[in-house]
Amino acid sequence: MTDAIITFRSVSKHFGQLKVLDEVDLDIHKGEVVVLIGPSGSGKSTLLRCINGLEQITGGDLVVNGMSVLGGNKVLREIRQEAGMVFQQFNLFPQMTALQNVAFGPQQVRGMSARQARELARELLAKVGLADKADHEPAELSGGQQQRVAIARALAIKPKVMLFDEPTSALDPELKQEVLNVMRALAAEGMTMVVVTHEMCFAKQVGTRLIFMEHGKIAVDGRPGDVIDTPPNDRMKDFLQHV
Amino acid sequence: MEVNWLIIWDFIPQLLKGAQVTVHITVVGLLGGVILGAIAGLMRAYGNSVINAIAFVYIEVIRGTPIVVQVMFLYFALPVLASIRIDPMTTAVLAIVINAGAYIAEIVRGAVLSISKGLSEAGLAIGLPRWKVIRYIVGPLAFRRLIPPLGNQFIVSLKDTSLFIVIGVGELTRTGQEIMAANFRAVEIWTAVAVMYLIMTGVLSLMLRMIEKRMRIL
Ligand SMILES: Nc1ncnc2c1ncn2[C@@H]1O[C@H](COP(=O)(O)OP(=O)(O)OP(=O)(O)O)[C@@H](O)[C@H]1O
Ligand SMILES: [Mg+2]
Repeated sequence: MTDAIITFRSVSKHFGQLKVLDEVDLDIHKGEVVVLIGPSGSGKSTLLRCINGLEQITGGDLVVNGMSVLGGNKVLREIRQEAGMVFQQFNLFPQMTALQNVAFGPQQVRGMSARQARELARELLAKVGLADKADHEPAELSGGQQQRVAIARALAIKPKVMLFDEPTSALDPELKQEVLNVMRALAAEGMTMVVVTHEMCFAKQVGTRLIFMEHGKIAVDGRPGDVIDTPPNDRMKDFLQHV
Repeated sequence: MEVNWLIIWDFIPQLLKGAQVTVHITVVGLLGGVILGAIAGLMRAYGNSVINAIAFVYIEVIRGTPIVVQVMFLYFALPVLASIRIDPMTTAVLAIVINAGAYIAEIVRGAVLSISKGLSEAGLAIGLPRWKVIRYIVGPLAFRRLIPPLGNQFIVSLKDTSLFIVIGVGELTRTGQEIMAANFRAVEIWTAVAVMYLIMTGVLSLMLRMIEKRMRIL
């Protein structure tokens, strides 16, 4: 297909002797919401982190928005501007306010003026429902609020794809929804998303595609409704019973 | 000989001159030590295996040998090895740079590594180059953790300057020694010298505590 925004061409990733991704082939297209599930250690985070070069692939090629992750540091920085990432642990910059966290990227990376960047940051904070928390430091925010700031921070770079690595796993149940709702809204706007999560409701409602990983390989790849209700493979069935 | 404290007054100007030399060596030496230490520490924290190994060897050699031996090496062995002759004052400054640099490198490395990896990754993930991640994110956070151990090292280095008596640098200890040799007023002179060191380290501590307070507000 021509509109693939992320293409894995038999991508492998080793940590020393350990093979964590095993010749993965995968095309992700514009507007898709790909939900990644699988047992612990199956390589979900690694797959995600290879896309924005936080992990270096050791075999094959991976192309993001027409650029190869093997293209060197400069290309990698451009890829990262096209693929925003949200982490399980939020990772907000603790010495900056919510607003500064969001404004920092566009100013440093996109070359916006401080004023423009602040305006954009205010807009994005409003979008994730935190207009009133702009001047708070991360430590003064709840986990759910921190994660929403983190999403705004990633969006501020104007990426074409958003990568989420278990964005709600560190949150109390009652705080998960506020983050999932922001992600829902994002998907509704047509944002291309790759989401590692255990939230099967979200996968069914929002996901356009579900991938089950096992031992560094894609074991199942299908429509969330279909493959969640009738898992095509016993290990996936097992897995679903335990989440 | 009876103890006569008033006699100290006669030697105050001379001792102050010695203290001035001590301060000079300390300030210039630590300035270089901080720069060298920051470089070596960042090499340890971020360098590839070769760069890391270079910094590692430097740090271990310095930490594993007494500073007096390092001074002797610079002053007496270097001229033989490389026909570089340096005067006592330069040797003293250089010794502080090299010695403090090694300890500061470990302090810098520890502070940098104590900042969660997730924060660097969050910085990289928005497309920042590595140096900006260090400059704007890890650096400021590490700096706060740096201040207390750095202050400690400053005080140690200040006191280490008294070792330069062995190569005849006219710093405070040497000055005290010279006065003593002339009048044998051991109690008075060494008390005065000790008090002067206390004042210098005290001022240093005070300055660091003030910086620490400012940093906490930041
Ligand atoms: N930096 C690393 N060095 C060595 N091994 C690593 C590293 N990162 C991950 N691994 C290993 O790679 C394998 C896959 O890890 P990964 O984090 O991708 O799994 P995951 O599917 O995200 O699991 P989880 O559900 O627990 O997050 C694991 O065996 C892990 O121990
Ligand atoms: Mg993971």
